[in-house]
Amino acid sequence: MSDLTLRLEAGQVLGLLGVNGAGKSTTLAMVAGALRPDRGAIRLQGRDFLEQPELARQAIGWLPEAAPLWPELTVREHLEAHGRLRGIAGVRLDEARDAVLERLELKNLSRRLAGVLSQGQRQRLGLACAMLHRPALLVLDEPANALDPVQVVALRALLRELADAGTAVILSTHQLTEVTAVCDRVAILHEGALRHDAPLPADQHAALEKNFFDIAMAGRAQAA
Amino acid sequence: MTLFAVTRLELRRLFVRPLGWIIAALALAELGWRFALLLQIFLLNQVRLAALPDGPGYTDLVAVRLYSSFITGSPLPFGMIELALLLVPLLTMSTLASERSAGTLPLLFSTGLSSSRILLGKYLAVLIWLALWLLLALAIPVSLAHGVTLDWGKLAAATLGTFLALAVLGAIGVACSAFASHSAVAAVAALMISLALNCINLGAQLAGINNGFINWLAMSTHQETLLRGLVSSADVVWFLLAITVALALGTQRLAADKERD
Repeated sequence: MSDLTLRLEAGQVLGLLGVNGAGKSTTLAMVAGALRPDRGAIRLQGRDFLEQPELARQAIGWLPEAAPLWPELTVREHLEAHGRLRGIAGVRLDEARDAVLERLELKNLSRRLAGVLSQGQRQRLGLACAMLHRPALLVLDEPANALDPVQVVALRALLRELADAGTAVILSTHQLTEVTAVCDRVAILHEGALRHDAPLPADQHAALEKNFFDIAMAGRAQAA
Repeated sequence: MTLFAVTRLELRRLFVRPLGWIIAALALAELGWRFALLLQIFLLNQVRLAALPDGPGYTDLVAVRLYSSFITGSPLPFGMIELALLLVPLLTMSTLASERSAGTLPLLFSTGLSSSRILLGKYLAVLIWLALWLLLALAIPVSLAHGVTLDWGKLAAATLGTFLALAVLGAIGVACSAFASHSAVAAVAALMISLALNCINLGAQLAGINNGFINWLAMSTHQETLLRGLVSSADVVWFLLAITVALALGTQRLAADKERD
């Protein structure tokens, strides 16, 4: 990644677009605190969390690509482990766990081992873990992967609901329709650099598609 | 504290995996069988031993010999430490290697925990598991305490020595798991390092080398003193040093994961 500057307000949903290898997942991993950048700063509510990593614990929720899980733990145990790792316990943890189980329709799977869940169920569990502690910033890497069309619509509704409640969301995806459906702003990455960062235009899909392909094809022509 | 959240998570993973239970069951069955044989040998020689002015008793010939065969010169193979050399690498192999292969390691990083706290949390879980194993093994000779004369001081020193040896093996296992991408590689590496550390002096002696430094380097040298009932701070420091070095190397490797993509 090089010279990437992004700013996100509370309640905003930012769509991060880019071809494979553009640096989307790397950017999100750095924002989530899983990867340390060589230089620069990542500020959250004005405070640099590279200096104070414990800020990330409470304020950021992250769903990495393909929702990595511990196969030997149940859905319920996953949520409890994530809650404790994020610093919540006791009654607060019980309430938060039950709320996300209900919201993501995982209640009847709560005693099932993560290792036997379908891809879609794994993705929902990963999302539940990310939003369990009600973070100020939700970082989602391809959250609609493996979800069926009904679940995709439900996910869009959930993201809008979280944004309306003041949560900032960064959403990485390959699907342009996904961005136009839920995002207020779009950023396009190409070869590790930010090529476009603007609110979504009024004619949305067509303009976004043109922008995206202009950037991607220009990069390929340059490489050729 | 989130360090204990890591410990709790790792303990849960250790206890739900069948491997942990199989290791514990096999090891305790072997130790029970070993205890019965050691007791039988002791009872056969009891009258002769009683005639000796400073003859060894139940503690020396049964209780302490349960802990080690190699060091105590027991006629029966596989005391607890020899078993641990083989089994602890199996127990620890997945602690970090499986997190890396399953992609859950970045999730732990994203909780704001430092590499050292993640590693320490994992190590504490392994240590708790090993302490429980040791307590169960200790219960076997102590179960006859009402009928025999136990040298509690000597048994306590030997138990401390065994615990410290298990702690070193656990630290080596966790460190190897931090370096490996696959659990099997971690297990093999931990086994080789543990065996080398335990027997390096024996190998040197077989090659005709009797070097003070090599003797000092070997874990068995320091265990031997403790199993004889002598607690020396120099030996305890050796164990603590070995644990610290293993955990520090593991932490370094884990920290490098956060720096690379």
